[in-house]
Amino acid sequence: MASQKRIAKEFADCTNNAPAGMSIALANDSDVHKWHVTLDGPAESVYSGGKFGLVVTLPPEYPFKAPVVTFATRIYHPNVTNDNVGSICLGLLKPENWKPASKLLGVLEAVRLLLVEPQPDDPLESRIADEYRRDRAEFDKNARAYVQRYAKGLVKFDGTNVGPDAGAAGGSGKRSTG
Amino acid sequence: MPPPNTPEEGVPAAVSSPPARARRSARNASISSVAATIGSETQGICVGSVGDLSSRTRPCVLPINYQELRYESEVDKSLECPICRTPFSVPITTKPCGHTFCSVCLLRAHQMRPVCPIDRRPLDIDRDFCKARVIHDQLDRLRVKCPSQGCDYVCPRELLAVHYERYCEGTPVPCPDNSCDLWIARHDATPDKGCLHKYTPCQYCSKQVMKAALEEHYDRECSGNTVKCAECDVDVVQHRMESHVVNDCPSTVVSCKWSSYGCGKKAPRRDIWAHEKKPCVYQAIGRLVKDREEDRLIISELRARLSTVEGRLRMSEKEKTERKERKRRQASSNVDNTENTIPAFVPDLNLSNSPRAAASYNNGTWDSPEDYMLAQFERMETQMEDLRKNIHELDGLHSMRLLNDTMRLNEQIAELGSKVGVIGMHTTWLMNVQRQSRGQQRAVGGVGSPLGAFASSSGGSGATSGATAGGVSDTLRNAPDNEGGRYYSSNMPPRRNSDGRGENPPRL
Repeated sequence: MASQKRIAKEFADCTNNAPAGMSIALANDSDVHKWHVTLDGPAESVYSGGKFGLVVTLPPEYPFKAPVVTFATRIYHPNVTNDNVGSICLGLLKPENWKPASKLLGVLEAVRLLLVEPQPDDPLESRIADEYRRDRAEFDKNARAYVQRYAKGLVKFDGTNVGPDAGAAGGSGKRSTG
Repeated sequence: MPPPNTPEEGVPAAVSSPPARARRSARNASISSVAATIGSETQGICVGSVGDLSSRTRPCVLPINYQELRYESEVDKSLECPICRTPFSVPITTKPCGHTFCSVCLLRAHQMRPVCPIDRRPLDIDRDFCKARVIHDQLDRLRVKCPSQGCDYVCPRELLAVHYERYCEGTPVPCPDNSCDLWIARHDATPDKGCLHKYTPCQYCSKQVMKAALEEHYDRECSGNTVKCAECDVDVVQHRMESHVVNDCPSTVVSCKWSSYGCGKKAPRRDIWAHEKKPCVYQAIGRLVKDREEDRLIISELRARLSTVEGRLRMSEKEKTERKERKRRQASSNVDNTENTIPAFVPDLNLSNSPRAAASYNNGTWDSPEDYMLAQFERMETQMEDLRKNIHELDGLHSMRLLNDTMRLNEQIAELGSKVGVIGMHTTWLMNVQRQSRGQQRAVGGVGSPLGAFASSSGGSGATSGATAGGVSDTLRNAPDNEGGRYYSSNMPPRRNSDGRGENPPRL
């Protein structure tokens, strides 16, 4: 498959000049369509000190269809669903915005930037977005609590450190279609 | 490789309404036609239909997948398709924004969304693409490795198709068994081998293995087939044992490499290696003998060449003397010719008599075709010069003759002209006479016809003037008298004056 070659190149690109605080590996060596990315919480954000797992899944039609990026680690963030799926709302990855020429390095960089600068205007979790806009101190506190609770220690991609769906602080509010 | 551009793929077809589906399939048709034209024009029969293998009749070789090629030369990043990240296979450029992609990639992206995959500018499949010829040329110069398995041939990309389709023995071709739709390397595709895609049990392990992959299975997978060589304690694939013993095993007894030059040593291979390394005494002799043999070969070859060169030299000497002889004879015959005929014209014609000239060349009178042609050319030139002179002479002669003839004719014409003038004057004079006589008759009392008067006055002027008078009298009879008189009085006198011959009638 031609896409294999492209994926191999993308993987080499990403591992050779990975964005700050990221390390990338294949989920298993025989399948290049699933990547495991470990992301250190950016120092300038409330997520600093945490280690987040990202799962990048490349569809068979990649690069003609957008990759799917999800958080394997639970995170308190307006643009990430507060459940054990961890879907991300990223403009770049929406089907109508995806361009076959986009690079995965750019996607990973965009995810990192999303942690530094959440986008409350295009939320997946409208409650957290509201909180982010109105009561920043409360949001920071909750986010840090999540980091302490889920994002410390070894990152696991099998869903074991995602925690139960109905977490104490994570009672997911009304969801909008980000 | 599965067909990438099937309509079922991409946008879920189940949710689309029938008209939308029809539209899409129409678009797919036009896309595939564009791909086909681009492919067929640029890379021969191989590309353009990569995805259509199953649907049409099978091509005679498995088409090259240009995106999978291994490039031996350094490929500039700007020659890589931003979609598949490999060097463009059939580059096409978008017209409004100037981005270049592989045609396969771009058309597939276009099927997903009809916009440029880089800047999202809307693109029309029929209007907005053009071929990127310069880039294509650059790509054609890149060196690539033949994609066939086991073939290490490396060539510029533009020549790959020829090697792959015609010469490469590893090129996958359709399996000789008609019921099998797999591909098999050309060297294995013989009817006597049959279909190599049937599974057979491995003779060492119980696994079912495709016949074509049996060798690889022995080498890589099969665990039960390696045995220890009894002599050298090395693991060897079982069915390779024979060649191991003959070619590799250090315990096999072999003779020294220089045995043909007198060394009689025979020992296990490992000892022979050592023996050959700490030079065998026959090595020096062997080398000498070898060199001498080579020298002898070279010498015999040189000798053969020398003899042919000598022979040719002798031939050419002989021809030279012959030619001299012939020239002398020719010169004497030329002298004869000049005495007999017009100078400098006929002899040249004789020389350039083409069959003879050709014959003289074939006989080897000339050293080379160039000399022959040059001589021929010079001869032609002189001949042309002579012809030109002759033509000039003839031209002068003709013009003189023409002038002489025409002068005489001119004189005669002038004479005739003057005579006609005289006749004309006579007629007018006669007219005047007639008019005067008519005026007299009117004055007398209108007795007698004018014709009678005219006839009586011009009775002796002969047959010609009689006929003229008849014609004139006709006109006069039809016209009223007064008008007739006025006509002659107004027209004739000035003409007579301009002739300068006075009022009196001339005499014949």
